[in-house]
Amino acid sequence: MQVERAAFVSFLNQAIARAKVFYAETLGLEVETEGDTDMEFRAGQVTLDVFHPASVGQPFALSPAGLALRVPDVAAGRLELESKGVEFDGETVDTGVCHMAFFRDPDGNSLMLHRRYARQD
Amino acid sequence: MIGAQRVDFIAVPTRNHLRAAEFYGNVLGLERNPNSMEDWIEFETGNVTLALVNTDTHGREFNPLPRGSVALRVADVEAAKAKLEAAGVEVGDMWDSGMCNGASFVDPDGNGIMIHHRYAPYPDGSQPDEEG
Repeated sequence: MQVERAAFVSFLNQAIARAKVFYAETLGLEVETEGDTDMEFRAGQVTLDVFHPASVGQPFALSPAGLALRVPDVAAGRLELESKGVEFDGETVDTGVCHMAFFRDPDGNSLMLHRRYARQD
Repeated sequence: MIGAQRVDFIAVPTRNHLRAAEFYGNVLGLERNPNSMEDWIEFETGNVTLALVNTDTHGREFNPLPRGSVALRVADVEAAKAKLEAAGVEVGDMWDSGMCNGASFVDPDGNGIMIHHRYAPYPDGSQPDEEG
């Protein structure tokens, strides 16, 4: 089997209008497609599909994917999101190669601000 | 704005990273990248990294990705489904939305993955197969 790319990554959201505000306005992601129960956002090279699970008869479940959004500066990005009311889970982590700051979307799906500072081998 | 540039990785939770790595490497045929560590193993899908993260050793609660969380584009869903089934993976029925087709399965930890192929043009008229 030859995988060509990730066509999209999905998060379930139970209030699409609220998700639109969060992803488009708070995070600043470009809207790719927009519907009443399904929206797609461009997260750099990846499409993030946010849809209401009831629209396809699927039960709601949180995603623990920790979608890692690369930002120029994790501390600055965190301050900006906090000023918009986003709550972070714990302190920003320095792994020795990168900074990570964990937060959730309004439905509870996990994301992080991420910036690797170590040189890739 | 926070200046989001790209998605660096998506964490795929596992409680057995060696079994997961065998699945993503040998069954799905993804390439392992050199950033991998013992209990954090990274595979490339072509445009985004999947990080297999052992939740036990990283002090996280284990919850699997919901159904169809990562859609892997393949040239032919039916052929890919047959290959997965030949490797012992239970794959759901193939569906067709009128724009794309796909089929869902779970990895050995129960994470929801999908094989997917869009055949309809995008709203701007571009063709899915023309993407980089």
